[in-house]
Amino acid sequence: MPAKEALSVLIAEDGAVDRLLLAQIVRKQGHRVFTVENGEQAVKLFVEQRPQLVLMDALMPVMDGFEAARQIKALAGETLVPIIFLTSLNEEEALVRCLEAGGDDFMAKPYSAIILGARIRAMDRLRRLQATVLEQRDQITRHHNHLLNEQRVAKAVFDKVTHSGCLNAPNIRYLQSPYALFNGDLLLAAFTPSGNMHVLLGDFTGHGLPAAVGAMPLAEVFYGMTAKGYGLVEILREMNAKLKRILPVDMFCCALLLNLSFQRQTVEVWSGGMPDGYRLSAEGEMLSCLSSCHLPLGILCAEHFDDSTETLPLQEGERLFLLSDGVADTCNEQDQLFGVDRLGEVLTGNRDVERLFDEVHQALARFGGRPRDDISLLDIRMLEPQCQLAPAVVYSDGLHGAPLEWSLRFELRDQSLKSLNPVPYLLQLLQEIHGLRAVTGALHSVLSELYSNALEHGVLGLDSRLKCDAQGFAQYYHERNRRLSGKVEGCVSIALRVEPHAAGGRLMIEVRDSGAGFDVERVLSSPVKEQAFSGRGLNLVRRLSRDARWLDGGRRACVEFAWEVQA
Amino acid sequence: MSEHRIDQKVLSDLQEVMEDGYLQLLETFLEDSEHRINQLHGAKDASELGMTAHSFKGSSSNMGAAALAELCRQLEERVRQQPLCGIEDLIHRIDLEYLEVQRFYQGERERVSAG
Amino acid sequence: MAVESNFSREKNELTIKVRGRFDFGKHQEFRDAYERQSTPTASVVIDLQGATYLDSSALGMLLLLRDHQGGDQSRISVINTSTDVRKILAISNFNKLFEIS
Repeated sequence: MPAKEALSVLIAEDGAVDRLLLAQIVRKQGHRVFTVENGEQAVKLFVEQRPQLVLMDALMPVMDGFEAARQIKALAGETLVPIIFLTSLNEEEALVRCLEAGGDDFMAKPYSAIILGARIRAMDRLRRLQATVLEQRDQITRHHNHLLNEQRVAKAVFDKVTHSGCLNAPNIRYLQSPYALFNGDLLLAAFTPSGNMHVLLGDFTGHGLPAAVGAMPLAEVFYGMTAKGYGLVEILREMNAKLKRILPVDMFCCALLLNLSFQRQTVEVWSGGMPDGYRLSAEGEMLSCLSSCHLPLGILCAEHFDDSTETLPLQEGERLFLLSDGVADTCNEQDQLFGVDRLGEVLTGNRDVERLFDEVHQALARFGGRPRDDISLLDIRMLEPQCQLAPAVVYSDGLHGAPLEWSLRFELRDQSLKSLNPVPYLLQLLQEIHGLRAVTGALHSVLSELYSNALEHGVLGLDSRLKCDAQGFAQYYHERNRRLSGKVEGCVSIALRVEPHAAGGRLMIEVRDSGAGFDVERVLSSPVKEQAFSGRGLNLVRRLSRDARWLDGGRRACVEFAWEVQA
Repeated sequence: MSEHRIDQKVLSDLQEVMEDGYLQLLETFLEDSEHRINQLHGAKDASELGMTAHSFKGSSSNMGAAALAELCRQLEERVRQQPLCGIEDLIHRIDLEYLEVQRFYQGERERVSAG
Repeated sequence: MAVESNFSREKNELTIKVRGRFDFGKHQEFRDAYERQSTPTASVVIDLQGATYLDSSALGMLLLLRDHQGGDQSRISVINTSTDVRKILAISNFNKLFEIS
């Protein structure tokens, strides 16, 4: 019976008769045969020809089969070269010696062609199995290395994207485990044109590459829209819509978004599915929690998505402490969770902010938690209103090009006031004027102030005096959301006029609303300090522009910017 | 009769397996066995004697000479026990048994080379 | 069986019981539990009496089920939730999508 596939077989046998007979049996079964007369020759031939299977007599002159088997097994390494001992050894001790020397099977004399054929086939199956296992192992190793390398590259690319933001700002401290990205954690921070700071801490469901994949478009939306002056609400809507569109149904992104306004000393918060964040006093005392009020991003369609944010006062020196669920979800040997309470103890026990992250890690270690590689910690401090953190924006188009003379006027009426924020559009338009680019931040602040004054105080009739303390603050924004979600009546009109001249140019901004107006004299003459917290930001507008006036009983704001052409 | 000393089943299997090499196998066996018999008589120590008995046992069993193989097995076992006195008798019995086997295979060789 | 399902013809309601850790390991079993129903069921009840833990991939599985049952038109309730499980569902505000008790 010919073998399925020919093997190369080494026969080591000192007896001429047995050697001749065996060689003929094996050859007749379709294999290629090498014959040698002792162990030494067997090893030598193995080195030269690498036969796939060995039939080895146990007792031979010069070098016996045991020693030859040991050497051949060592030379073969991980490859299985089956050795069948040819012997009539009928003593247990001798059989044990065969096994110990690396023998895989035995064959007694007299030889039977049928039994020998069956044994060779069985050994060949074993040999192939081992070869397959080794091949698959090597393949897995190759794939694994390949994957690790891809992750390294992906991380390098992603780091470039995330670090294009302002995570290195002096008021931010963060700690992210090296491969947290591949566990779906995401941390982004960027300045708005007016010097506010947007921060996102996110956590995608799932692990590995699928979790990291959604992070790219999210970062793109976050940076792109923040730079263009969009507010949290617009950014949230875009992020949610984008993730809803691209992610499979069972994937989503828990996220906590912040808008820190240093000017106003406030923080605007939206949290969907993230663990509580903490608002801490300068001394580390817990002031309140930033709790998740929303479904995570990427679940609801645009029409059901809830973009309502909460605005809280945050004084200079006060801090926000945020973290991913990796901390509270850390398990110990007994399968207990670290939990929120233990975290609270660490926070209240902290005396030195610099050591907080270390203390969290130490507490996790004391708890006996298995180390997790998806822990993100973030600590953000409110700075003084006058701080100048935002770097000058660098534009990718050239610096030349003369400003054109133009003007525009448009009006937002009734329901359209609910959904459209015109500030980013206006800002983009104004950025075409090179002379104004140096004051993009100021323009953004002024346009935002004027528009929200016109909308909130003018059209919605909200009283700015509400914002005198933390409670009133919350009440104010709650009322704002309530009125915006009801029926809105009234209008805001905005006019821009650009007038270039030889040495530069000027921009006139006019914002009008249909509201009741306000006592301009009284507000402008009240102390600056009072205005900063509760006023309409009129002082800010005056400070940032060349000229600012309020006419028609406060219903019309006229603000002027000017620029000079650099020689 | 020397035919009785040879396992006929083994013999027919050998012819079938060896085909044209059967004659060469017979010649090799006769030559190899001559050599083994000489080694048995000229062995310098027990280990050489045991080794030779072991090899002779293997080849004779493969050639279907069961009785000869059995005598070789006894010798192989016997040399492990000291003293070796009385062992000459066993070697003598192997000599006699081999003469019968030799006679049979010589006849076989003539038959094949004539046919 | 860590995931058991039971269909009530009378109520046209499918009940799926999940025991132990409700995580990615139950993915296939959980899916099979509602996908093998040949006709659509009016409502689904997820019984978490025996569930000790629930991770974000379990939340994903609930979303898949919701999608399978017609999204906003689906009627899915999650019952017998432990305090820990309820906490996880609350952080993600899943009570806005499922009836949780």
